[in-house]
Amino acid sequence: MSAEGYRTLADQLRGWPDARLSRLLTARPDLATPAPHDSGQLASRAATRSSLLRALDQLTRLELCVLDALVVAGQTTRDELVSIVHAEPAATSAALEHLTDLALVWESPTGPRVLSGVAEGLAGGPGAGVSGLRSRSPEPVPPEAVAKRLAELSAPARTLLEHVLDHGGEATTGTSRHTVTTDEAATPAEELLARRLLVPRGGGSVVLPGEVGLVLRGGRTTTDRVDDLPRLPTVERSAAMVDKVAAGAAFEAVRRVELLLDHWGTQPPTALRSGGLGVRDLRAASVLLHVDEPTTALLVETASAAGLLATGHTPDGEAAWLPTDELDRWSTRSPAERWWVLARAWWDSPRLPGLVGTRDPAGKTWNALAPELAGVHQVETRHLALRELGALPPGEVLASGTGLPALAARVAWLRPRRPRTRADQVAWAISEAEALGVAGLGGLASYARGLVGGRDDTAAGVAALDGLMPPPVDHVLLQADLTAVAPGPLESTLAKRLQLLADVESRGGATVYRFTASSVRRALDTGWSAVEVHDFISSVSRTPVPQPLTYLVDDTARTFGSIRVGHAEAFLRADDETALSEVLHHPKASSLGLRRIAPTVLVSATPLDVLLPRLRELGAAPVVEGPDGTVRVARPDQLRARTPRDRRPEGLRAARGTATASAVVTAVRAGDRAASNRPAGAGQALSPSGSLAALREAVETGASVLIGYVDNHGTRSERVVDPRSVEGGTLTAHDHRADDLRSFAVHRITSVAPVTG
Amino acid sequence: MTDGPLIVQSDKTLLLEIDHERAQDCRKAIAPFAELERSPEHIHTYRLTPLGLWNARAAGHDAEQVVDTLLEYSRYAVPHSLLVDVAETMARYGRLRLEKHPTHGLTLATTDRPVLEEVLRAKKVKGMIGERIDDDTVVVHASERGNLKQALLKIGWPAEDYAGYVDGEAHPIELDESDWTLRDYQRDAAESFWHGGSGVVVLPCGAGKTLVGASAMAHAKATTLILVTNTVSARQWKDELVRRTSLTEDEIGEYSGAVKEVRPVTIATYQVLTMKRKGVYPHLELLDARDWGLIVYDEVHLLPAPIFRMTADLQARRRIGLTATLVREDGREGDVFSLIGPKRYDAPWKDIESQGWIAPADCVEVRVTLPDGERLAYATSEPEERYRIASCTHRKVDVVRELVERHAHQPTLVIGQYLEQLDELAAALDAPVIKGETSVKERQRLFDAFRSGEERLLVVSKVANFSIDLPDAEVAIQVSGSFGSRQEEAQRLGRLLRPGHDGKVARFYTVVSRDTVDAEFAQNRQRFLAEQGYAYRIVDAEDIADLPT
Repeated sequence: MSAEGYRTLADQLRGWPDARLSRLLTARPDLATPAPHDSGQLASRAATRSSLLRALDQLTRLELCVLDALVVAGQTTRDELVSIVHAEPAATSAALEHLTDLALVWESPTGPRVLSGVAEGLAGGPGAGVSGLRSRSPEPVPPEAVAKRLAELSAPARTLLEHVLDHGGEATTGTSRHTVTTDEAATPAEELLARRLLVPRGGGSVVLPGEVGLVLRGGRTTTDRVDDLPRLPTVERSAAMVDKVAAGAAFEAVRRVELLLDHWGTQPPTALRSGGLGVRDLRAASVLLHVDEPTTALLVETASAAGLLATGHTPDGEAAWLPTDELDRWSTRSPAERWWVLARAWWDSPRLPGLVGTRDPAGKTWNALAPELAGVHQVETRHLALRELGALPPGEVLASGTGLPALAARVAWLRPRRPRTRADQVAWAISEAEALGVAGLGGLASYARGLVGGRDDTAAGVAALDGLMPPPVDHVLLQADLTAVAPGPLESTLAKRLQLLADVESRGGATVYRFTASSVRRALDTGWSAVEVHDFISSVSRTPVPQPLTYLVDDTARTFGSIRVGHAEAFLRADDETALSEVLHHPKASSLGLRRIAPTVLVSATPLDVLLPRLRELGAAPVVEGPDGTVRVARPDQLRARTPRDRRPEGLRAARGTATASAVVTAVRAGDRAASNRPAGAGQALSPSGSLAALREAVETGASVLIGYVDNHGTRSERVVDPRSVEGGTLTAHDHRADDLRSFAVHRITSVAPVTG
Repeated sequence: MTDGPLIVQSDKTLLLEIDHERAQDCRKAIAPFAELERSPEHIHTYRLTPLGLWNARAAGHDAEQVVDTLLEYSRYAVPHSLLVDVAETMARYGRLRLEKHPTHGLTLATTDRPVLEEVLRAKKVKGMIGERIDDDTVVVHASERGNLKQALLKIGWPAEDYAGYVDGEAHPIELDESDWTLRDYQRDAAESFWHGGSGVVVLPCGAGKTLVGASAMAHAKATTLILVTNTVSARQWKDELVRRTSLTEDEIGEYSGAVKEVRPVTIATYQVLTMKRKGVYPHLELLDARDWGLIVYDEVHLLPAPIFRMTADLQARRRIGLTATLVREDGREGDVFSLIGPKRYDAPWKDIESQGWIAPADCVEVRVTLPDGERLAYATSEPEERYRIASCTHRKVDVVRELVERHAHQPTLVIGQYLEQLDELAAALDAPVIKGETSVKERQRLFDAFRSGEERLLVVSKVANFSIDLPDAEVAIQVSGSFGSRQEEAQRLGRLLRPGHDGKVARFYTVVSRDTVDAEFAQNRQRFLAEQGYAYRIVDAEDIADLPT
């Protein structure tokens, strides 16, 4: 940095080395798109309001306060600045340096200067992370003089002054006189005005100048220190323990997402018209998953963020939430990889599942997966909160109870310009992280550090998690009560096959399956044979297959398919088997779709009314059998159509005809008049004021005028009208052609001419 | 990850892999708070229920112990929500206490005011509560002590009962340990009951529950009413008490269908108490016949439902329940908990192990196919007729004959429900039949002959099956039956069949008609027996020859 400073920010940017400039562009990426032409343009872009606010949002409380102090102090030196910020001088200097890097502050020959526009951006009180002091007067009263004047104040005046200081440094004076001397001052307000501790600013309001505020706060912009980052209370907990708990949650989360999506693949929940998931469906899912509704909402949202769940249509054409084809790819991966996909999606998701079930300001309940259920700040808050967890010393985790509020306070210090709901957002971030297994017991899981740290080491994280997850098992234990217990997560393909063959009775770390006649039949339905079932069962079982299970499979297979069902349009039966064979094998019968299902019965795919004449053509003499088995004889039906009938009464029809005719006549007459009045030299275009004047005149005189009018579709027409009123840019007039009152937009009227004759 | 034997499921079941080396330790550790639900050959299933957790609380275990146990033995991470739930459930017990107030009598007091507020607003509790004494205490109508406890349990805030008991009419009772000594666990059980006031002692069959009862009586030294399941067991109690205590035969009365004696120690059957005549229970007054100081409930898991209503009024008297299991077929475990008391003692598992876990019998289900004619008759019959038609098929006769021939030298019982079927079987097998109408004398003669080996085959009806002096058999063949309580079925089965002296496994055949309701019933029984660890097999009637003998 040049010792004597720069003339402008652009100057300073020009003087910066490339590295520093590129640092600025990295920190404020919006400045780089589109690429500015020169430093001048860069500097002016840096001062635009939107870019400034974006940069301010990224500042910590300390940095904001340093910036604020600069605004309050106005023209100042680096040393003076350090003295009025309530913080360690080194911290203040470092913050100033960072602000300079961000091009929010630049070095003028007289000292650091804030970029124009920053002062407006910093408006607001302590709630926005700043001091709430006004800028100093152009020629500030020296602190000693201020202190002296303060000492002279009466107690009520002092209280009033402090009240104004704490409430934005601005007040209205009411009836107080603005120009009084100290002796004339009658009220506390006048006392302050007389001593110039409050300065009138016009419009009846007074402000408290920055230098007074500084003295009142003991020479600093704030009374409390701004560089003490809230500390996080911690307790000791071994990293291994944290990992174990988190990995357990991670495993459960993956398992539950898979279970839910598998379930929804066959029984999808309806997608609400607003795009969300119905309350009832969420509740059903939470029962299915054995977790509470907030966790269910989180899992659903995470699955959707990971692209595993989306809206689609059921075969009936109803909108529904369906698993995506991505699910099939996802399911084939190892549990750790699957978790990684979910965790990554969650990490960068702006969604707010924590709101599900609560009501929005309009009193409407938030639904999971509703499109509006997202917050712009959620991602940043989540990242900050979890990075803070990650920064805890090894072997320590956030204390339960006091930890969370402290974390919220710390995040608030890091980014003070954030909405009020932050405490909620921090709490959500942590509880979601624990539910998904990113964190556990208030500590960050070791395998998630890559994710949280922003490093792209998926492989390492997955490998670390793999070691913590229950290893997949490839066998089950079969028991005589017809259950099979998989003492751990089954390999995916194995689980799918077993699920077909047996019903799941209990889930968790292990899975309990129960074989029933109907579950075995289900497998047979999908094409398994009894032998295949036996082979599969004995291959996955580590224990001998119990005899009752073997028996169950055989017994189910025995009755399976003993009754066959099919579709036929008609049947043919005859005691004479030869007659049926004759029909069946007739060369012309192939199109009838005949099939023999018993010696004396044929079925046909052809409907009866077609079949009957065709059979007669083939030389057979069939009779039709009724549902009760009796023979039906019938002569051909005689066809009749319905007599057309007109339901409208005669009178109404006549009236309508007359009305139509008269309307046509009116229109024709009006058109005639328009034609006869058309001026020789086409319609003269009038200026808007001219046409208004002409119309008003017509209203006054009650005369008919010919107007040129362009309608909504851009079609020009000319009408003869009797103007009634002109108001609000609209002409109301009696239209001769429509024979009715009509409104015309004045700006669409192109010409106005008096009707002659 | 630890390599524990236990897997905690998210539906609150615990799976215990019994072949695991730490399975025994784990079983001991979880027994106090988890109920054993199924015990087939490889994996036993336990369940965490609020009642089980409250029982554990009453027995002095706290949530931390439970959580630690789960964490210690669990193979995988335990779902966090489950641990939270355990802690919350256990914390609910004891927030409310029934106490005796010096001036107001029975009161309900709380340590947690919002809980009391919640409870007082509950509809179920309304009529049982009197005026409010102060913020934390409210008067309870003395007659509602039992009902209130029941109601509080139902709304999830079980109350601890500190209201004390009446002493009852004193009566000297001492254990007479001249030729025997009380086992340690029996003494512990009686003492934990005595200190707890009222409650249930869980001991496996054969562990000497009667002695625990006697010991409890010796503690109470007061007149005692003992409620037992049937007359046999009433006699057994009487013999045992005379032999083991200072009580003489004259001091002990039997109150059953046959005899109605009320003495300082009275043994009554559930049946006589629940007998209803013209809408009233004529023998209910027995409960007030004396100023009882102690009431003993034998086999609590079989306690008939009407008894609960009666015992609701007996809350001021000490109650001890004796049972082998807390699981009830009718799901009224909650009533046992609130009306008799929480579990006060659970037998150490070691003692149960010494009983052995052998399956007492080999169960074989033989399936016969109905002939076509009967199949049609079955298909078109009324629903209430179906079971009879299915179970009385003539095909069963041939099968039974074949089975009887296979076990020609073993004492065999053929058990059935329908008399015509029994008569037909008796004729076909040339064996005597015992039915309800058979005289006691004849019945006795046949039983004696069976015991002595003179008669090796008996056909008996269900009535005879209930009979107290039914002899043991090595082979039982059931051709039809109304399978009521599965628990009862298993007990009867255990009582009926003893392994042969030469180590031969006893056999229990059930002949069932395939594809009918008969087979459906059999499926339930199969599941239950398999869950209890019995070996179970199904064969077709044609394949009997392949069975091992």
